[in-house]
Amino acid sequence: MKEISYTKITGFKWYSLSIAALLLLVALLPFSTGQYYLQVFTVAFYYVILASSWNLLAGYTGQFSLAHHAFAAIGGYTSALLVTNFGLPIWLGILAAPLSSALMGFILGMLCLRMRAIYLAIATWAFAESVRITISMTYEITRGDLGLAVPKIFPGIGQGVAYYYLFLGLAAMTVLVIMFIIRSRMGYYLRAIRNDEMVARVMGINTTRWKILAFMLSSGIAGIAGAFYGHYNGLLTPVMIDFNEMAFIVIMVVIGGIRSIAGPVIGAILIELLTETFREFGEIRMVVFALAVIAIARLYNEGAVGAVRQGAQWISRRKQAREGVN
Amino acid sequence: MVTIDWTLLSQYIISGVVIGLIYSLMAMGITFIYGIMRIINWSMGEFYMIGGYLQYIIITHFLGVENWYLGVLLSMVGVFLLGMVVQGLLIKPMFQGSVERRTEYATIVTISLGVLFTNVAVIGAGPFIYSPPGYYHGTRILTLPVSGTRFVAFIGTIVLLSLFYLFLKKTWWGRAFQGAAQNRMGIQTAGIDVFRLDQIAFGIGVALAAAAGALLAPEFYLHPRCGSIATMKGFEIIVIGGLGSIPGVLCAGLLLGLIESLGAVFLNPSFRDVYGFLFLLAILAIKPTGLFEERERVA
Repeated sequence: MKEISYTKITGFKWYSLSIAALLLLVALLPFSTGQYYLQVFTVAFYYVILASSWNLLAGYTGQFSLAHHAFAAIGGYTSALLVTNFGLPIWLGILAAPLSSALMGFILGMLCLRMRAIYLAIATWAFAESVRITISMTYEITRGDLGLAVPKIFPGIGQGVAYYYLFLGLAAMTVLVIMFIIRSRMGYYLRAIRNDEMVARVMGINTTRWKILAFMLSSGIAGIAGAFYGHYNGLLTPVMIDFNEMAFIVIMVVIGGIRSIAGPVIGAILIELLTETFREFGEIRMVVFALAVIAIARLYNEGAVGAVRQGAQWISRRKQAREGVN
Repeated sequence: MVTIDWTLLSQYIISGVVIGLIYSLMAMGITFIYGIMRIINWSMGEFYMIGGYLQYIIITHFLGVENWYLGVLLSMVGVFLLGMVVQGLLIKPMFQGSVERRTEYATIVTISLGVLFTNVAVIGAGPFIYSPPGYYHGTRILTLPVSGTRFVAFIGTIVLLSLFYLFLKKTWWGRAFQGAAQNRMGIQTAGIDVFRLDQIAFGIGVALAAAAGALLAPEFYLHPRCGSIATMKGFEIIVIGGLGSIPGVLCAGLLLGLIESLGAVFLNPSFRDVYGFLFLLAILAIKPTGLFEERERVA
């Protein structure tokens, strides 16, 4: 298994040390940047959650869901509607969000995942558009395109730091959970399904069941992210289910490096930062991102993480060679 | 006792048939590309959009509205060439051994291509809505009064689909495509350059989307994301009809149009675009391989 063995090659100590340093940097960041970039990072962490959970499904399991943004929106609307219409406390609403997203994922998965992977992609594409239309049209409940006002978790202004740490914690937890899943027995099943579903089935893995579970998990995580996002942003609109959002997630995962834990994290933060920094360039940013994704997919499959990994391997090989000569 | 107004009912049915057949044009393009290359082109809606824009430019700047049919042909040719180039640059390498995971690669690349085209359109033409003048005066199909554009689109679709059918059944190229859909390895042993075939198939597929875009431009207006609804219908149709099946596309297209039209009348017109998806779910639950299953021979 490539994913396991590379930690041995690059050296576990070096790896964990650099991650610790990075975490320290991220934890101390609110003390050195203004409110604006604090918000940018908060949104970036939201995308880290979405990108990582999509990578679990698309990267590791090989099942392309094109409704990940829609599941986030379902979570967001579920929590917001429960809180505003039934007076539930916010934390209960947020708890209900992944349940409704995962339930939708379960129904769709039951119908599509018995088939080839392409069925899930098509059905989720149509699902996302249908959800968008439904939310726009049921304006008596969701206020449609006007947008639904959502109570905030931390009321009042100037709570940027609190939201920053909240989303940082959520993103870190998501990444840890996904890391745990990938290294567990389930992770091996999922990768086996991606590599060759027929062989996996012959080996006695109930592929449909594991695929549905992975889809539910990934949709559920998106639901949590969406719920928190709604209570952070204070406004939910059907624009959240524009296909551009989904494309954004794909761009983040591919540029960061599909099928790696760090890839979606790096990709999400990088792309969100670039998007905000080069705001005045408008649509040109998306054109550049799209070209970058095409180039990466076409020429070099592993994204930023793969490049760093290969660089590290190259350096350590050089070092070994030099030591060998001496 | 509810009395049924038969004229009204016949109008809904005809309206459903008309719109369903127009959707089939898009679905035919998707299913043709899938049949030959086993990939889904996610940027189909963007090719539809490009077709519409080309048509707008051609009829407003060069030929005039009265020559709209020439415009449709020219935009089809333009998008056909664009599709050939795109296929040659991006999809072809997939079959030449340099790409490991084909479905994943094709999905990522065509989604990015869609993002690219949409944003280029926003940069080039602005986020405005363009509406070309109608092609024809209002008229009626049997009992149903229709707008001239929809009438033209209906007739145009029938003509294009018949030509496409004749092309597939009667010409050498058409038979080669049928062969490629059945067994890629097989036709290579028969001495056919399958890569060349792929490239042309991709061009034809996106040209069908462009034709839909050009024909419907005055009806649904033009903006950078105008292809998304048509693409959604296209995807629903190909799953309902059975992936890769050509009679399936026609049958599912008509059914989808009818269900939408009748659902809009008897249930709620706001959710017109959602009924197709519910129908898709029902089909997946009852007969997941679609109405017409196309059996694939593994080489």
